[in-house]
Amino acid sequence: MPTTKVNLETTDLNNYKYDMSRCIKCKGCYWVEHTYMPGVKFSTRCPSNVWNDFDAYGAFGKMRIGHAMVEKKLDWSPKLLEIIYADPLCGACDVACKRNLDLEIGLSLEAMRVKAVQDGVGPMPAHKKIARNIAASHNCFGSEHGDRKGWLTPDIQVAAKADLLYFVGCTASYTNPEIARATAKILNATGTPFMLMEDEWCCGNTLQSVGMLDEARELARRNIDRVKSTGARRVLLSCAEGYRMWKVEYPKLLNIATADLPFEVVHLTELADELLRQGSLRMTRPVNARVTYHDSCSISRLADPWTPWSGERGWMGTVSPPLKRRRGTHGLYAQPRNVISNIPGIDFVEMIRIRENAFCCGAGRGTKEAFPTLASSSARHRLEEVKEIGAEVLVSACPWCKNNFAQAVREDGEAVKVMDFAELILASLEA
Amino acid sequence: MKHKDELAKIVGRENVSDAEDVVLRYSRDLSLVPPGRPELVVWPTNAEQVSDILKWSNKHNIPAVPVSSGIHFNGGAVPRQGGVVLDLSKMNRVLEIDQDIKQVRIEAGVTWGQLTAELAKQDMRVIMPLAPHADRSVLSDFLDREVPTNTVYDYGEPMQAFEVVWPTGDIFRLGSASVNGYPDSGSHGGNPSGPGIDFYRFVQGAQGTMGVVTWTNLKIVHGTKKDKVFFAPVDDLAYAQEFLYRLLPRRVGQEVVLLNQTDLAALVAENFPGDFERLRATLPPWTLVIVISGLARRPEEKIAYEVKFLQELVKNEFRGLTVDEALPGFPGLGSRMLPLLRNPWPADGPYWKNRWQGASQSLFFIARPEETPRFVEIVESIAPQYGYPVADIGSYIQPIEHNRACQVEFTFFYDRKDEACIAALYMDAARALVGEGALFTRPYGDLAPMVYERAASYVSGLKRVKKIFDPNNIMNPGNLCF
Amino acid sequence: MAILKEAYKALETIVGARYLSDDPVICQGYQSGPAGYENGTGYERVMTKLPGAVILPRSTEEVQKIVKICVRYTIPYVPYSTGFYGPRSHCHVGNELLIDLKRLNDFEFDEKHWYATVGSGVVYSQFQEECLRRGGYVVIGGGGAQASVIANLIGDGWSPLSHRIGLPHRRILGTEMVLPDGEILRMGSLAVGDDWYWGDGIGPDLRGLLRGYTGLRGCLGIVTRMAVKVLPFQPERLQPTGISPNTALALPEKRVKWINYIMPSKEAQVKAMYEICKAEIGGAVTKVPLFWRAIAKAECKEEFWDLWLKETPETVANFHIVRVLLIGFTSEEQLTYDENVLSDIMMELGGQPRRTKPSDESWIKNADSAGMWLMCGSYVSVDYVIETLKQATEHGPVYAELKKKYTPPLMPDHGDPGWFQTFELGYQGYSEFLIYWDQDEDTTGVDHFYLETSKMNIDHRFYTALIGPHQPLYLTGPKYGPNYHEWMLKIKNEFDPTWTCHPPVPFAHDEFVERAPWMHELKTWESPKKSIYPKWLEKQLAAEAREFRESLQERK
Repeated sequence: MPTTKVNLETTDLNNYKYDMSRCIKCKGCYWVEHTYMPGVKFSTRCPSNVWNDFDAYGAFGKMRIGHAMVEKKLDWSPKLLEIIYADPLCGACDVACKRNLDLEIGLSLEAMRVKAVQDGVGPMPAHKKIARNIAASHNCFGSEHGDRKGWLTPDIQVAAKADLLYFVGCTASYTNPEIARATAKILNATGTPFMLMEDEWCCGNTLQSVGMLDEARELARRNIDRVKSTGARRVLLSCAEGYRMWKVEYPKLLNIATADLPFEVVHLTELADELLRQGSLRMTRPVNARVTYHDSCSISRLADPWTPWSGERGWMGTVSPPLKRRRGTHGLYAQPRNVISNIPGIDFVEMIRIRENAFCCGAGRGTKEAFPTLASSSARHRLEEVKEIGAEVLVSACPWCKNNFAQAVREDGEAVKVMDFAELILASLEA
Repeated sequence: MKHKDELAKIVGRENVSDAEDVVLRYSRDLSLVPPGRPELVVWPTNAEQVSDILKWSNKHNIPAVPVSSGIHFNGGAVPRQGGVVLDLSKMNRVLEIDQDIKQVRIEAGVTWGQLTAELAKQDMRVIMPLAPHADRSVLSDFLDREVPTNTVYDYGEPMQAFEVVWPTGDIFRLGSASVNGYPDSGSHGGNPSGPGIDFYRFVQGAQGTMGVVTWTNLKIVHGTKKDKVFFAPVDDLAYAQEFLYRLLPRRVGQEVVLLNQTDLAALVAENFPGDFERLRATLPPWTLVIVISGLARRPEEKIAYEVKFLQELVKNEFRGLTVDEALPGFPGLGSRMLPLLRNPWPADGPYWKNRWQGASQSLFFIARPEETPRFVEIVESIAPQYGYPVADIGSYIQPIEHNRACQVEFTFFYDRKDEACIAALYMDAARALVGEGALFTRPYGDLAPMVYERAASYVSGLKRVKKIFDPNNIMNPGNLCF
Repeated sequence: MAILKEAYKALETIVGARYLSDDPVICQGYQSGPAGYENGTGYERVMTKLPGAVILPRSTEEVQKIVKICVRYTIPYVPYSTGFYGPRSHCHVGNELLIDLKRLNDFEFDEKHWYATVGSGVVYSQFQEECLRRGGYVVIGGGGAQASVIANLIGDGWSPLSHRIGLPHRRILGTEMVLPDGEILRMGSLAVGDDWYWGDGIGPDLRGLLRGYTGLRGCLGIVTRMAVKVLPFQPERLQPTGISPNTALALPEKRVKWINYIMPSKEAQVKAMYEICKAEIGGAVTKVPLFWRAIAKAECKEEFWDLWLKETPETVANFHIVRVLLIGFTSEEQLTYDENVLSDIMMELGGQPRRTKPSDESWIKNADSAGMWLMCGSYVSVDYVIETLKQATEHGPVYAELKKKYTPPLMPDHGDPGWFQTFELGYQGYSEFLIYWDQDEDTTGVDHFYLETSKMNIDHRFYTALIGPHQPLYLTGPKYGPNYHEWMLKIKNEFDPTWTCHPPVPFAHDEFVERAPWMHELKTWESPKKSIYPKWLEKQLAAEAREFRESLQERK
């Protein structure tokens, strides 16, 4: 039986030809998984295909398009670029497919973007601008690099040396200092010493997401080296996108396993859960509100650790050596819920679509910059769900989610308060 | 004579007649539908003869009207435009009974009387409409969508695969009987659907306009091992319906019927007018009858859980209802009722609806159960306008499919001399009911134009299909919208 | 040649520019293959085309207008709901308009009268959840949780739950349909008013036009809205549990319960089914193929093959399972009664109960056929027949015998004879035979097997799903009915005289056999001497056949 050499590199779309050619159009990638299907309302999971109804915008359409690209049956066009990039790569399709078919949908979508960059047609102009910003000032926004630690207030104690390094990220550093401050104060309040990177640069999320792998890889190397040099044993993220970058994408970019990183990557949600269990996180101040939690994609279904793999595909499409598929089972689902529901006074209510079935806010991975209408339509769609369950406060664990929801709330004059996980915890701590 | 001779060549001289008494017998039935005189009556004995007759009809453009039963109540078989009546009563074989697959194959002329007797020998039965006349054709009644009294099965529709001779004379077997060589085949006729399209649907409710069904496979059930009949006197129909909305979806009961005092009295009275009048005067306005049965295995246990649910429902939610094995004041009603629900009405006397006044006319339609009180009110407000006493109206509500719908039937019992008045009342009531949303899926006689004028797109579709199967419109012309 | 500009403009005025596109990338998204139901077969490769344009209407009225424009400009069109049903629901000729019905997603529920009105874009898992929430349930057809309710109900529509619920045809109530010529046909109670609750026709029943035993695959109009009967279930909640991929519905054990019995022989297995039906118990009674167990156990494709290749023809032949779902429709006591009766039957027949999980992964909310593609990549349920238990229990082994000749390319299955189950408390028996293969292999054998099964059914006088548009019409036509195909074509010509509605279905499989040289050796039946198509279609099909021949030459 002839075999084909294959690996998981997204730099070659051919690696995913098999996966793209095996999509059966069951549309499990579009609908909430049947077991959890809530009925006719809030029944979809794909922000891209909700934004635009043509099949081409669903993963099942994109697999056909990607396959045609490999077969050289489609030329680049603005429409093709739109279809490839109007997508937050939220992973909903990927985990859905891996319930039944184990196709690498998420990686296929990434590989299509990499090909766009390789062919010189991608990414979108808005992404190129971000790339220029990062190159020039090491953050997505083009803000002064020197202002990166501007969020720090005098009451925050930062250790010169600690096991824990808090990687703040561009958003918490510049646009959402309240998240960085809240995170730092929680660490202080729980007696958890932490240090900061001396010269923190962007994590590279947008670069990696839009297919600019060389640039992203450069950042990955630099950031990992800098952490190594601090001797930190754990890297803490308050940003979901940053968490995914450190935990999954850096190893992927460098062709190593997550387990091979010389430090552990943790998100605030899991650290807070750990501190709560240890007794050091004491949330005593009541928060009297009906609160719901939005699973940010990058700490949930996209967060399974990375293990490099290369091998052969043979009879009936079987591969060897064994490939451990990333199915989104290792996401931080329980931890944030455990913490939030332990806050006194809180009336915690679940959304209709939760965990691996959550509906993405639509902002991440370069989407909001290039396709703001997709981001706002997704946020509004999700806010309908928030209203349906009667929540007053919407909590997420990612600044991208927070900003996107907050903007929609502001524009529509909704009565929902949008908070980051860190802010909610801080609110429950005694002053 | 030419026609008679030609037909005699097909069916044999003994099977064709133009005798006056014969022709007259087929020219009218027990309904209010005006008579129509056939030229000839033929008795085919197989599908090939039916086919030849229909080909002959096409050639000569002579109407052909199929008749399978010995008695008719609705006018569907009256030859409105004359022609030839095909009486299928000689095609009356019970072809196969199979207990394993719970199926019988019968020809069109097999009657209720014949089939129930035959099945009883093997402890099998067929679910049936309320006291069908023993001389009615089972096939005709089911083709005509007569509603069974049994409400518990999810799947309804007792007919399986069958054979039809299309109006063109083509013999066609449909569903899984369509396989080559059936019944000598791997397929046994258990699926009515297909091949290609659902031909069986076109023949349903067609009143003989879409072809002649010569035999059908039919679902049968094993005999019950034990039965309990429960009665509930009902004053408030709406309340009883709410009860049925709760009870029947829980799959309690086999036969369930709701009859007003006139209908129930007409059904169970042992003599007229004495017993009938006494019953009618003393029975509650409505009586709900529920039969709970034990089946092949552990019959007592089955009855026990159903009864328990029934009793708890009454106790917890419907205290205004008394459900008991006896109807207070009417001892022995249960033992009289059960045979009535499980057997056809004997052919050796007048039909139950005609015992009182000699004649009757029923008006029946499909409705939502919650709408029944309104429909009763409508009919009760119209009847007096024709001098017809409200108390004389027979009302029968037959829940269908866990009470998601019901058939409502009003019966006007009358003396033949009052026919004109009853005809006017019947039409007026029908008009009012149609206007209020009563769904007449079986529009007989003059009801047809009344209903079809509201269904323009459907009529157009029907005519297009009819044209395919009956290009010369020879099958029972003048009926329905054809 | 693309769709005429003038026609395109007219279509655009109906739905707006946002919902109409002829962009090649958008059209590529509507490709039938490369994978999916029946894809990867010759039929798919030869008979499907990318659409010339795609349109997304929102209402019946919009669909009607679109169809009228298609008829006026002779634009072939195909209705498409979720697109799961493989090549036969995709475009078959060039410059065809694909009418994607996903935006027709209105939904209303009448709890008291046990039905819901659904648009073509509503899928089963949505519908089933709405039902369960109200103490009702429906059958999710094998097409699965994400299949369009309407498309499935006019095409297939069954599962093991059909043991109670029965034929899908009976669950179709008031229905609204745009006929191929653009006229709207309202059926059932809808024919005379605005009410959807009742299915019977006024007089003869035109629901006959909607489907046959299996569906027409969109060649006789577009159903835009349908009231579907819901059946009462039981009141307890079936609780979703687990994280994907290990999710299931936890069953309220006193009300809903699966029990598996291993029977000593096939005779005992079949007898058990008859007895269960005679006793009128259960909510589902089915045999399952042994390899489903391997699918359920395996975490991935590779593990499946490890497990499955350990089986042998003997283990497969000796696997006699009866899987029974008990439902306490009435009460907990009813479930106890059913279980007692079942135990009696099994005791008499030597059935041994196996430990069965108190959960449902497959049937109640899922009918998860997506997993069927895991093993090989390509799959088709080659036959799926509702007949009687007598046919159902004899049909599979005949298939298995024929299949040997075509393995490979078909998956090595140790002679598995498919599976069977009961319908309508035993009035029908159902059998299904599945085949699997890798589409990257030479699939000539698959194409041949598919057609040979049709001949096998004809020879053995079995009823089959392989009729109508599913096999060459002139192969099966004379052998069923007889000549059902002639009536079918008369109906097609009456309602679609221009053949713009999904051409050349129902004649497409005949067309495939004519075009594909590798099929010619199997052609043993007579085709019509004269073209059955209108001129425009005859011309277009001839040109496309020529194109296909040339492309074969080039590849050589």
